Amino acid sequence: MRIKTLFASLFLAAAAQAAAPVYDFIICANINRNYVIGSKITTLNGVYIRDDAGAWTHHGYNDTGITAVAFDPRDRNVVYTSAMNGLWRSLDGGKTWRMCNSWDMTEGRDVAVDPNAPDHVYLAITDGVAVSTDRAQTLVRKENGLPARGKYTQAIKVDRTQAGRVLAACEIGIYLTEDGANNWRQVLATKETVTDIQQSPHDPAVWLAATQSAGAFISRDSGVTWQNLPGVPSDRALYNITFDVTNPQRFAIGSWAHGVLTSEDGGATWTARNAGLPEGHCVWRVGVDPEGRLYASVVKETLYVSDDFGRTWRRDALEGSLVNSFLLLPRAAQ
Amino acid sequence: MHRLSLLLLSLATLGTAVATAQPSFTGPVPVPPADARPDVLRRDYLARVTETLDWYQSAITSEKPLTREQILVKLIRKQGDAQVSQRVLELMAEPQSGDMFWMFPWTAVAFAGRDQLSPEARAAIRDAWRTYFPMRGDTENHWAMYYASLYLMSELYPNEPGTSWFTGKSSAENLAESREYLIHWLDISTTIGQGEFNPTHYIGEYAIPMIYLAAWAQDPAMRQRGQMKLDWLMADLAANTLNGVLRGPNARTDDTSVIERWNALSSYFSWQMFGNTPPPSGYGGWGIYFAILADQYELPEVIRRIAVDRGSDFVQRDLKRSRRRWRYSDVEMAPIYKTNYLRRDYAVGSYQGGLSDPIQAHVWDVTWAVPDPRGKHTTMFSAHPLSSAQVMQTYFTELPDAMIDGLASQGKPSYDVPDKILGSSPYEQVFQDLDTVIALYAIPEGVRFPHINGYFSRDLVNVTEDKSGWIFAQGGNAYLAYRPLAGYEWQHLLGYRQLPSQGGGYRWERVDHGDKGDKLLFSPHRHNGTIVQAASASEFASFDAFRAAINALPLTFSLEPVPTVTLKTLRGKQVTFTYGQAPVVDGQPIDYSKWKLFEGPHLNAEKGSSILTITHGKLQRTLDFNTLTITDQINE
Repeated sequence: MRIKTLFASLFLAAAAQAAAPVYDFIICANINRNYVIGSKITTLNGVYIRDDAGAWTHHGYNDTGITAVAFDPRDRNVVYTSAMNGLWRSLDGGKTWRMCNSWDMTEGRDVAVDPNAPDHVYLAITDGVAVSTDRAQTLVRKENGLPARGKYTQAIKVDRTQAGRVLAACEIGIYLTEDGANNWRQVLATKETVTDIQQSPHDPAVWLAATQSAGAFISRDSGVTWQNLPGVPSDRALYNITFDVTNPQRFAIGSWAHGVLTSEDGGATWTARNAGLPEGHCVWRVGVDPEGRLYASVVKETLYVSDDFGRTWRRDALEGSLVNSFLLLPRAAQ
Repeated sequence: MHRLSLLLLSLATLGTAVATAQPSFTGPVPVPPADARPDVLRRDYLARVTETLDWYQSAITSEKPLTREQILVKLIRKQGDAQVSQRVLELMAEPQSGDMFWMFPWTAVAFAGRDQLSPEARAAIRDAWRTYFPMRGDTENHWAMYYASLYLMSELYPNEPGTSWFTGKSSAENLAESREYLIHWLDISTTIGQGEFNPTHYIGEYAIPMIYLAAWAQDPAMRQRGQMKLDWLMADLAANTLNGVLRGPNARTDDTSVIERWNALSSYFSWQMFGNTPPPSGYGGWGIYFAILADQYELPEVIRRIAVDRGSDFVQRDLKRSRRRWRYSDVEMAPIYKTNYLRRDYAVGSYQGGLSDPIQAHVWDVTWAVPDPRGKHTTMFSAHPLSSAQVMQTYFTELPDAMIDGLASQGKPSYDVPDKILGSSPYEQVFQDLDTVIALYAIPEGVRFPHINGYFSRDLVNVTEDKSGWIFAQGGNAYLAYRPLAGYEWQHLLGYRQLPSQGGGYRWERVDHGDKGDKLLFSPHRHNGTIVQAASASEFASFDAFRAAINALPLTFSLEPVPTVTLKTLRGKQVTFTYGQAPVVDGQPIDYSKWKLFEGPHLNAEKGSSILTITHGKLQRTLDFNTLTITDQINE
């Protein structure tokens, strides 16, 4: 395992190349097929970064329960992961870590750093939201406005246009805060969990959300109002949703039941793109890399990649993996 | 990725190096000594400790490397030679396993070997607590193991910086966090009830951390907490066993133990503590991790007497607690109102139905005593085979489809099979009065598996389908009457055989034992119900007399719009129970809000009190977690 400030060195090396992509492609993956608590951990799990040659390299600590990773935009050596234990933080590019939460916060589902207030870190947990204003040295619950029951939070994202503006994907809908989680209000009501929420890399006012039983939604006013995306099935759970950084019209959805769904017209129409995926096409998550390649993590299989946005698929690396999250990270200007 | 706890590391994992005979497992059923002098009891208790340690040590050969358990036995016996240290180094160089299941065994090695292991071996264990990142888990037994281990290791290595611990926190920070959690857990379990209550196997995951704290914690208050909670757990075990076999409902059990009630880790604890049942194979797997310190625990005589005395019938009512519900529920932890009625020949136990834990729960049964429980299926009950992704999501962080799909490979083969007999259901409501149980079912349309499974043991005799609608049977010295409230058919209940793993995870096949196997009463009706009544054979002149007595009892029922039953019980109570309503006994509705934490002749505690009074005859022990005091007295 290459530990030595690899997070940082990767960015520095990339920045030296004028033609390099402007994003890095990062995943949080469990490579331990059929792992169950108590069994032997024989593989490297957690954060992987794809290098420019297309190889995946593990970074940080080995944990089968990492759900998401986030970075301090000022200093890529400051890394946060949400995981079963809660929230982990590294200040040295992954060499050493600290479990930042107290015992009463468990099973981190997602983590986000406010790009306009980078000391502020938001953690989605099983019973709400925890917030730090000191780079996760301390975490406190900030749940005013969240329901007493129904605040299970699966995903949390910070609006990159405004400090303290955060959207949380919860059990009974989407909640918005505009004051750093001091106050929340519901902006979308659902009966079951909102499974994912994403901000467009093209237009920060555009957001997408996937749900367990209500299909998918789009917001064009920074998450204040939401419209159901026609053509997206709502009979089974959607696991995640993503934009394509190379094309503002292209979206993709991952679903155990429906496999991969894509839209190439801004969500107006959707097509199942499962030809070439293993039978059953139980998709855990989808992601799009900086070059517009579509990835699908297929349960009990491996990572699949498509060069034509799902029309054809080929096997990628990471046999036996489950990818919990894909992250496109802007490379820092040096 | 699934986050279920492994039921218990299997015997295949823990006992592979052991090939020698296991005396108490294969020998005659132990009988508590007639001579109950303290020195005799203690001698026998320590003999059982020695047997367990000997069994592991006797399997040591020069051909095979030491197992972790054998290392522990050698260390606890002060035989920590160079071979032991070398083996520790080898094991620490391998990929680590088990998370909190890794933490507490290596905590035990670290403590048992602190004055015997080589500096290099001790350093290797210590360094693993920096480089290995054990997960904290997702349930209370995980956290008990995690925080007890972290607490002890932080005490063993005090004043060390965060850079030397996987948590990134200093020894003092780890200690404080662990202490906080442990006290929190003790607080809720002694005020609003034990979560994962009366588990057939998970009792080890609680008892082992507690004895480690009792023996190894430096802080006298934490040692006291460990000792007192161990008393609490053993008292709860004693009051819910009959001949050492755990009876009644369980928050967690498994497909084997739910029917072969003796075959569980709880029987190891009964054997070690009370000497009144054989231990399971391999001392239940985890038994060795308790046995290494068992000589440092003094079982209170009052608890032992509760376990071995079934001279008088008694009812024990307890308040327990469901597993935490993260979503899709109005409450975080639901109260569990549990009843156990124990007699010499049989026991009847239940809780009020509904969901307690998402998998492996067992809601009610009548179980009977047999001279030798090994291999015997001594139980009768019915259940709704709930399989629900949303229920899984209620308790776990999983996405809806994946979890059910993966359960079989994680050691829970029955979760999504129609003939499941394990598990609780939101569509089951249960009422018990002494040895009468009424279970009513109202399963909505669209629910997967809209039927009821009744369990009929292969070990029943005289199974008779009476024209009255009752099914009569005899188990041991218990006469049993089972009344299905809707039509049914008989099926063979298939067993589960574990297959060799292929690339990780568990694999199973179903096994049909034919007409000699257990039977399933399959009732394909969404509105449904079961009534069971039991009695000792000695209470009636004959089996036919029992049948006549049951048939003579007034009984009316209907299933629409919801199931409702009105009957006079064998014990003369007039009961009306309607699905969705409080049961009414002799005109008085049952008020569960008045349920105490413990109420019975032996265990008593007020809700919210943190004080448990343990009583048998004149003997009494009081555990007061508010003051961390133990008070023994002899009542006149």
